[in-house]
Amino acid sequence: MITSSILLAITTFAYLLCALLYLSGAIFRRRAIMFWGSVTGAVTLALQLVAMILRWWESYRMGYGHAPLSNLYESLVFAAWAIMFIYLVMEYRTKERALGVFPALFAFLAMAYASFSTGMNSKIQPLLPALKSNWLIAHVVTCFIGYAAFAVSFGISILYIAKESKQGTVDGSNSLLPDLRRLDELNYQMVLFGFLWLSLGIITGSVWADLAWGAYWSWDPKETWSLITWLIYAALLHARAMKGWRGGRVAWLSVIGFGCVLFTYFGVNFLLGGLHSYANMK
Amino acid sequence: MRKKGFWQGLYQNLASPKLTVVIFLVLAAASVVGTLLPQGQDLVHLQRHYGPRAFWFITTFGLHDLYHTGWFRLLLLILCANLIICTVERLPKTLKIFRHHEEDVDPEKLLRCSLNCRFTSAFPRGVTEARLNSIISQGFGDLQRLDTVDHLALVAEKGRWSPFMVYVVHASVLLVLLGALVGSIFGFKGVMNILEGEATNEVMLEDSDKGLSLPFQVRCDRFEVSYYDNGMPREFRSDLTLTQGGQEVLKRELRVNDPLTYEGVTFYQASYGTILKDADVELTDRESGAVRRLKIPFREWTDIPGTKDKVQILRFSPDFQGLGPAIGVLILREGHEPIGSWILMDKEFHGNVVATYRVKVIGSQVAQYTGLQVRRDPGVWLVWLGFAAIIVGIGLIYYVSHRRLWVWAEEDTGSETTTVIIAGRTNRSEISFEQDFKRLCDRLRAELTEEGGSGTK
Repeated sequence: MITSSILLAITTFAYLLCALLYLSGAIFRRRAIMFWGSVTGAVTLALQLVAMILRWWESYRMGYGHAPLSNLYESLVFAAWAIMFIYLVMEYRTKERALGVFPALFAFLAMAYASFSTGMNSKIQPLLPALKSNWLIAHVVTCFIGYAAFAVSFGISILYIAKESKQGTVDGSNSLLPDLRRLDELNYQMVLFGFLWLSLGIITGSVWADLAWGAYWSWDPKETWSLITWLIYAALLHARAMKGWRGGRVAWLSVIGFGCVLFTYFGVNFLLGGLHSYANMK
Repeated sequence: MRKKGFWQGLYQNLASPKLTVVIFLVLAAASVVGTLLPQGQDLVHLQRHYGPRAFWFITTFGLHDLYHTGWFRLLLLILCANLIICTVERLPKTLKIFRHHEEDVDPEKLLRCSLNCRFTSAFPRGVTEARLNSIISQGFGDLQRLDTVDHLALVAEKGRWSPFMVYVVHASVLLVLLGALVGSIFGFKGVMNILEGEATNEVMLEDSDKGLSLPFQVRCDRFEVSYYDNGMPREFRSDLTLTQGGQEVLKRELRVNDPLTYEGVTFYQASYGTILKDADVELTDRESGAVRRLKIPFREWTDIPGTKDKVQILRFSPDFQGLGPAIGVLILREGHEPIGSWILMDKEFHGNVVATYRVKVIGSQVAQYTGLQVRRDPGVWLVWLGFAAIIVGIGLIYYVSHRRLWVWAEEDTGSETTTVIIAGRTNRSEISFEQDFKRLCDRLRAELTEEGGSGTK
């Protein structure tokens, strides 16, 4: 009997393979290897979708019946899926394959953390009364699409910074990469896309909080950190309109922004607590 | 003169987009502080936890209640001013561009555009125009022919409205903040703890010591918690009945995530708990050995008969440190400070002594209450409207850019060919526009010029 956990275990290693293919393609400068990276990524994405749907169905069989988006484990799995999904759509639309290393690596790391971390509860559990709402799906999906877009943007920013620092030298290892101007534009579009979804995530969370607790904003640490993230990316989008801020500085702001995303996701749960404390390991 | 200079300077600063970025970053930094230092701690606790210097710093800048301090609100106010002034400065320009309709196209100007192409069509003007129309309209919008005599001037435009979306987002942010302001001025937020079987109309307000009386009564007929097999709570449910002037006006079950609204006041299932109504207590005076039994209502000073002493049950814990239910008993003796201690209700512990009395709990009446969050917020609709418009605005900024294309064409004298010049411009995602423009030019060259192969020599 194939279960969702077997499929998710396969997914974890498939993302590792995918990341290695993209990396080898970049090291040996072979587009053909990168192509196989894309194929692996797309197949894994489909497999993981099946696994998530299966897990959903399993939760119904156990009598709980909720979308697999309710705790840290399930959110990590969805995060890995969202990162790869957004990256592959971007790759399909822009025909740029050389940016795949980071997204594939992040997808693998998210899955590996979910699968191998001790103390991670991967069991399907029933929902607490506060989480029993259709807003759960809307809120988690929108937030994580935003986070995933920022993860992809982080990857692009790192490549931008690396490429910019090597500019003028003979080293041509970045030759498969798009030029700086194009990287900057891809980065901007990815941030704008992430900003749209983060806004939606904050708003759905806010509407839900209003329904559950009677306050659409209560400065809970998770809320506040999502606002901090939003402010950093808002600063990025506005800074880009000013002279001399395109490129490097925007890339650095995106790196800082992604740091905020990580803190909002992990740091708040482990260090600060608050209303989202059910999103912890146990 | 100097005064004018100051106001002008202030205005110019408030109109600067740099200020926007700075405020965003300052707000972010302030919010970080607010999450690292737990908010809403009382001063006594703060004083004990932090040194005198840190305590002075925290209280002077209100860091323990940062989001409600004057300076944080001032930052938000500056952001609003910045938003409004930037809009006032820029909207007329955007409107001018929006309203502007070209009357003619100047070939010299087109060639000065960073994106332009020029080629000679192998066809006469009429055929060239028809083909330009059919090719350009796929992806760049319909070509409009301008009213010119000797040459052909065409303009295509897409996403004409997109430059306004930034204003939509900015106005929506203001709307959300306005909604929050309206809510905080005209609304209220509080809690109601209602005992099972009892009714009340008193709301304990969140940010003041005062209470508030609702024009109707809320009765809790029943409160129930249900559990999953593994012991996790499945559902909290209160059966409520609302009565007004003795008349039953509404009867409904209240669950988490499923609030109830009546006459603009919304009730949320927020918490529950057990309270003590009163306890039957046996007091033994250790000096005289006299034993007295009395019923003590919760939180009321009660005279101990035959003495000048008073007793009160100040606190109740359904499970005191895992030892079972306990009450916090205070004894007040004339001329003395009150002395208190926790007394276990089921067990004896260290003689159960408070002051000069031995205390033994014989019986107690406890009751379960449901904790309701109560709120009235007339500004919430402004907030929802603002949220919706923010999403529509950002979505359209992402998906639609303002793309313009100009075409100039003139039949060459003495031949059947036509010279064509095209230029394009966009306000966002320049590179993908560049690619589209290049592709367009390649295609036009292929289908209209002789080198393209379709023409004959």
